[in-house]
This record gives sequence, structure tokens and C-alpha cells, in this order.
Amino acid sequence: MSADFSPNPKKWLLIGAAGLAVSLIGFFVDTQIAAWSYLIGLIFITSIAVGMLFLVMIHHIFDAQWSVIARRQAEHYISALPYLGILFVPLFALTYLGGDQGILWLWMDQGALAPGGHGTVATDILYQKKTWWLSETFFWVRAAFCFSVWSYFAWAFRRNSFAQDEDGEAKHTFSSRKHAAIGLILVAFTWTAAAFDWIMSLEYHWYSTMFGVWIFASAMRASLAVMLLTCAHLVAKGPLKGIFNTKHLHDVATLAFAFTVFWAYITFSQYFLIWNANLPEETFWYNDREQGLWWPISMMLIFGYFLFPFLYMLQFPLKVNYKSMTFMACWLLSMNLLDGYFNILPSLKDADGMSFQLFSDWTNIIWYISGVVGAGGILLWAYWTSFLKTKIIPIRDPRIQECLNHNH
Amino acid sequence: MDKQYGLIAKFDTPADIMHAAEKVRDAGFKKWDVITPFPLHGLDSAMGLKRSVVGRFTIVGGTFGLTAGMLMIWFTGGSELSLPFMEGYKLIVGGKPYFSPQFAFPVAYEMTILFSAFASIGGMFILNKLPRHHHPVLKYKDVRASSDDKFFLYIENEDPQFDDEKTRAFLNDLEPVEVGELEE
Repeated sequence: MSADFSPNPKKWLLIGAAGLAVSLIGFFVDTQIAAWSYLIGLIFITSIAVGMLFLVMIHHIFDAQWSVIARRQAEHYISALPYLGILFVPLFALTYLGGDQGILWLWMDQGALAPGGHGTVATDILYQKKTWWLSETFFWVRAAFCFSVWSYFAWAFRRNSFAQDEDGEAKHTFSSRKHAAIGLILVAFTWTAAAFDWIMSLEYHWYSTMFGVWIFASAMRASLAVMLLTCAHLVAKGPLKGIFNTKHLHDVATLAFAFTVFWAYITFSQYFLIWNANLPEETFWYNDREQGLWWPISMMLIFGYFLFPFLYMLQFPLKVNYKSMTFMACWLLSMNLLDGYFNILPSLKDADGMSFQLFSDWTNIIWYISGVVGAGGILLWAYWTSFLKTKIIPIRDPRIQECLNHNH
Repeated sequence: MDKQYGLIAKFDTPADIMHAAEKVRDAGFKKWDVITPFPLHGLDSAMGLKRSVVGRFTIVGGTFGLTAGMLMIWFTGGSELSLPFMEGYKLIVGGKPYFSPQFAFPVAYEMTILFSAFASIGGMFILNKLPRHHHPVLKYKDVRASSDDKFFLYIENEDPQFDDEKTRAFLNDLEPVEVGELEE
């Protein structure tokens, strides 16, 4: 490691705290928009951490060789999951202490007027049919359960990996593999449930069977982009220089490319099924997203989040170059965030049932930024704290030699 | 004896053939090849091979498939064009517009994949000059060992640098088990 490389986790904790403080001010100044921005930021950052957890489990279940170095980076990121769970608590507080119980999830306010003129939420047949799932207690218990499951698996994989650094025992690898087999199922279910609860139930009239797969694709794309940035950064700064080579880069980039196609396939399938069936309780969701600025944003997602990255990463020379992949990773992350806004923010309706517009008021941008910076700072704080405590690569992993010899 | 096709050298180990390939590459030969019983990692760069250009065929095939799929759906269901032996017939399906890109997309997408695959296979055949039923190497007395435990390297007469004596000496310097001649 070069001598001048000294990451400072405290800096990121301060940045995160500043973002959270601004969001907190927002909760008093502009409660609803600040709360929604906070939710978007939290889901965006959580999707990165959960995507990293998926990467670790996929590595173990396939007994993969090449990804041992990259896995260690993912292991640092998943340490943020318990803290992200704590960051979910303000949403609970906002719901019950903010004065408006339906501030985020409209259905939590039984007396609120239901969208589309069906009386109140309590008398809305579309709500009544879903009460078994959309009950307030069950909702918060589910959220706690989701974060507990993710935190448990994060803890288990980290414990196994770091313990192996010390004693080099193969049993840790076997333990991780068993955890991965169960974890993949449990995390897939909980992450889907989280998508239903946190995003879909914002608009509880809507149905989509593709949504759980969509959020999986989204989390994978976000985490792979962060993985590319992390490895490129560590190579540039020294710690992984000469260890992480362009073949590793090419493989991570190829995964990012694969999930670009996967995301497009899922997103199109969701749209196509709804477009083809043409049922009013489904199509309204896309109709809302064709109003105002949301229409150009949806076009931006097709061409900017699928077609451009697809054609870009189709090219081998761009996938083995740190600079070009750094650019693409930044592009993918911003598009992922835009996709988050596109999926979440139009569900916020005004009194006439019109969707909220992204730039209806320029001061909202402060809350947009603080929502992402708050949770993002915590994620990077957790990453660097874990990074400094452990070895840069898993030196005693049974596959480490194969990973280091991995070359074009 | 038939016309000479080239010179062939036999090696015992993967490491030997790897070093030999590097030397032939550095000597600047163009028309030569290596025959091994199994794939050797790193032989591509030892031989100085560039990445295959078969991807160029693929992108052309894929683009063609996408366009053809879109045009086909538009022609059959959304146009009244008259072509020889065919006529477009406007048809309403499921209350949808005569033509919309999302409607045509699944078919166009499958066509993209199909024609990408055709173009890749076709491109591979063209680049490898296939089909080819015979190759002078197959006449070489010891060629069967190349599918067992021996490694071969040959340089063709057509190589601009080829000179029977010099090339033979060059191959001998690579320390092979033996050097032989290939007949046309």
C-alpha cells in the first residue's frame, strides 16, 4: 500500500451526518417532500448494500474463483446493513409523529381519500382485499424482519471470511456456502417484500408481478457499478494495484453488462404485460409517468439506462479500461437513482390526483441530495471502517491463488 | 514427392510449445499455426493473435434481425403495401394500434438473437475458411499424436519470410523433438 493512502471513515460519517441533519431540517420545513426524498435515498443506498450481499452469496454458491478479491469489497459494504436498518426508523417516526399518518404510505391513514374516487381508504374495495398484507403492524414487523435477515447474513459472511484470514480453515468456506444456499432464498423473498412494501404500496391500487424481479435487477446494477468504482479507486490509489487486473475488471464489467440486459428485459416485460392487458388498475401507473417531465425521463431511461450502456459495454476495449468503466459506473449509478425517482416519486399525488413533478420546486433538490448523501455517507463510513480493520484481500481463502492468477 | 506445403516441428510439453510460439511470433512470421490436443491458456498472446472480429458479423446480423422483425410486423399488420406475392393487410389485434413498436418488440427481439447467432456462425465459417475437408497437416505421419500428448507448430511455404533452409534452421533452434516436412 502506498504511504499516502489513508482513508478516513470519520470524514464519511460527518458527510452522512450532515446529509441526515439537512433531511431532519427538511422534515420540519417541507415534511412530505423531504420524507419522500429520504425514502428514495434510503432505498437507493439499501439496494447497493443488498446487491453486494447478493454478489457475496452468488460467489459462494458457485464456488467462484475469479471474484475472491471483489468479494472482499462487497463484504465491507454489507456491514452497512444494520445501520441502514436504523435509518429506517425515522420513517416510522414520521408516520406516527408527523401528524399525517398517510404522509408516505397513504393506506396507513384509513380516513384518507382514496385515489380515483373510491371514498376513503377504509371503504376502498381495492384496499379491503389487501388488508391481510397491508396492515400497519405487519408492515413494520416485515421491515424489521427484512433488515434482521440481511444483517444476520451480512454478519455471518463477514465473520467467516475474516476468521479465515486468521486461521485459514476450510470450514469457513463451507459455512459460507451453506449460508449462501439458504440466504439466496431468504434475501430474495425479503428484498421482494421490501419492494412491495416500500415502493409498490405507495400506490396500493397497483398490481405488478414483475416488481420483485425488477428491484433485484436494480440492486444488482447499482452494486456492480459501485463495485467497479471501488476497485478502480483502490487500483488507482495503490492497495489493489497489481492484484486486481484488467481481467477482473472485464469480468465485473461483463456482469454489469449482463444485468443491463436483464434490467431491460424485466422492465420491458412489466410494461408490456400492463400495456397488453390494458387493465385500468394497472395502466394508471404508467399513465401517471407519462405526464409532464416524467415522459422525457422515461425515454431517458430507455435510451440512457439501457441502449447507451448496452452499446457501450458491448465493446471489449471499453470494458478493460479503468477510465472508461469509471465513467460508465458513474453513469449507471446516476441512471439508477433517476430510475428510483421515476418509480417512486410520481406515486405522490396532489389533491387533484396529479403526480408530483420532479422539478416542480427547485428547493426540493436540497432534500433530494440530502436523502442520498445521508444514507450514502453512512454506507461509505461502514465500508472504510471495515476496510481499515481487515486484510485487503482474503489471503487464506482456498481460491485466492486461482483468483490472483486469473488473467486474459 | 508432392509440392512442399511447409515445415512442422513437434514438441513434448505445453511450456515448450508456448516458448516456441513466442519466438515464431517475435520473428515476424505471418502464415503459421499451432496444433495442441487441448486449449492452452495464454497461447493467444504467445502467438500474437488479435481478438476475433466475429463480433462485427454479429452486430450486423443483430441489427438486421431487429429491423427485419419490426418491418415484418409493420408490413403484415400495419400496412397495405403490395409486394410481389404478398400484400399487407391492416388488422386490429386486441384493440391495439395497427402498429406499435412495443407490440412488435418481442418478435423483433427474438429475430435479433436469431440473426446474431446466424451471423456469428456464418462469420466464424468465413473467417476460418470453412468448410474445409482436408488440410496438409492431416497427411503428416505423426499427426495423430496432436490429439493425444504432442504439440505441433508449422510454418507455411507461403509465408513471406519463408526460406527452406533458414526456416528449418530456425525451427531447429526452437529445440523441438523433431522437424518434418508438410506436403501439399
